[in-house]
Amino acid sequence: MELTRRDRRVVTLVWLGSIIVLWEVLAAVLLFLIQDNMASSKLPFPHDVLITFVGEWRSLLTAGFVTLSRAGLGFAIGGMIGVTLAVVMSLSKIAEKIAFPYLIVSQMIPVLGLAPIIFNIVRDMNMSRIVIAAYITFFPVAVNMLSGFKSVEDEKKELMRSIAANRVDIYLKLMFPYSLPYLFTGLKIAAPMAVTASILVDMLGSKSGIGVRILYSLYSSSFDIFWASVFTSAFMGILSYNIVIFAERLFIPWKNVASKKVGAK
Amino acid sequence: MNVPELQIKNVSKTYTNNNGEEIHALTDVSLDIREGEFICLLGPSGCGKSTLLRIIADLLEPTTGQVSIHGLTPRETRLKQKYGIVFQQPVLYDWRNVRRNVCMPMEIIGVPKSERTARIDRMLNLVGLEKFGLKYPFELSGGMQQRVGIARALALEPEILLMDEPFSALDEFTREKLNEDLLAIWGKTKTTIIFVTHNIPESIFLSDRVVVLSPHPGRVSAVVDIDLPRPRTATLRESPEFYDYIAKIRHSFEGV
Repeated sequence: MELTRRDRRVVTLVWLGSIIVLWEVLAAVLLFLIQDNMASSKLPFPHDVLITFVGEWRSLLTAGFVTLSRAGLGFAIGGMIGVTLAVVMSLSKIAEKIAFPYLIVSQMIPVLGLAPIIFNIVRDMNMSRIVIAAYITFFPVAVNMLSGFKSVEDEKKELMRSIAANRVDIYLKLMFPYSLPYLFTGLKIAAPMAVTASILVDMLGSKSGIGVRILYSLYSSSFDIFWASVFTSAFMGILSYNIVIFAERLFIPWKNVASKKVGAK
Repeated sequence: MNVPELQIKNVSKTYTNNNGEEIHALTDVSLDIREGEFICLLGPSGCGKSTLLRIIADLLEPTTGQVSIHGLTPRETRLKQKYGIVFQQPVLYDWRNVRRNVCMPMEIIGVPKSERTARIDRMLNLVGLEKFGLKYPFELSGGMQQRVGIARALALEPEILLMDEPFSALDEFTREKLNEDLLAIWGKTKTTIIFVTHNIPESIFLSDRVVVLSPHPGRVSAVVDIDLPRPRTATLRESPEFYDYIAKIRHSFEGV
């Protein structure tokens, strides 16, 4: 049973609507039924959050933008490093064998510990956000892209060899376009993580950024702003992911259509 | 007097498989191929036909023996970009449309842009896909994709066209149609074609000579001249002479 586009939109709307309703109900239960005094900090009413958001939208969005833009820059840099690493590792088996263990180890450090380490070394708030986003991004991109390179069918490479193509042509005309879907898988994994990491750095004591709003509002018990900030950051994570998806559709228009066509071979 | 274009002398290919056994993919194969000839390498799996093709194409190295093409080694021929190759799977680039797929080898060689467009037009006309230039591979049927593969292989106007079971993945009807189309194309381009197949009628229909290969170890069991008139038409497939050839070739396999 295939869902049409319209069906899927309806499903999404119903799903969203019921979440909001459920949420309101739960918040009301918490406040009125259980009579929890701390209700507003544990589970606010959606409409309260919305009102706060609308009221404070300018400052929230500015803070969000600060964090998001630095994360974005780091993401782009990390992506480029990842691609370069993948190319180097695919060119030389030795490079791959040497680099891989280091790569794995690099990701063993949890982000929570990483943020203060990077901040200590870099000492600049903006730089730290960029560095940590790059750090988070380069690994999934490198690994996925390398996987893409390795999965190019032998016959495609034999074809290139039969017309005596040089390495540059093989990479530019075959390996890269072929591996774009893999690249985007890596980017999709990295995008929300890069944003989260950037917010984490905020919390280490910057003056701007959404992470700071979250922290300060929590400590000063301004729960409305707290929740509005939390939702702004969630929104940023979702936005970053969707930007990558949009870019994917732009660069790989053939991907989804190709997989739907069945029985050609 | 046709000088042999391609000379295969005592070529053998042995390799060790995962179990440590020695596999004799080819043993002492010698063959002369004339310019402009359409020759088929026919045999079941494991007879070494694809291996032989790849040795000619410089995609594999022979263990012993040598191949020379107008005095050049396979490597030299390959580096001079004199080969066109068509595989069993079309191996088209999903991210390029038909025209740009056909164009790809020309980009690598550096054919000037104006010439490229002209050649693409010619090639697409040749394979009957003029109207499909802007389509993407996934929009085409298997047979059409293979035709694009052929167009692409011919785009460089190669001296030798190597075809490795190009129609094996297609249904019988498409295959027969493409056989006829291929002969028409060959009639126009006069390239030397080395065609690998496991299909006996196909090998007879297409070629001037059929080289019958048998497996374990891979070797040439027979070389059969096909004295059927050209141009070859569909009705030929039902003629008694055709059936005689099928029987003759079937009996020349050994150890199958």
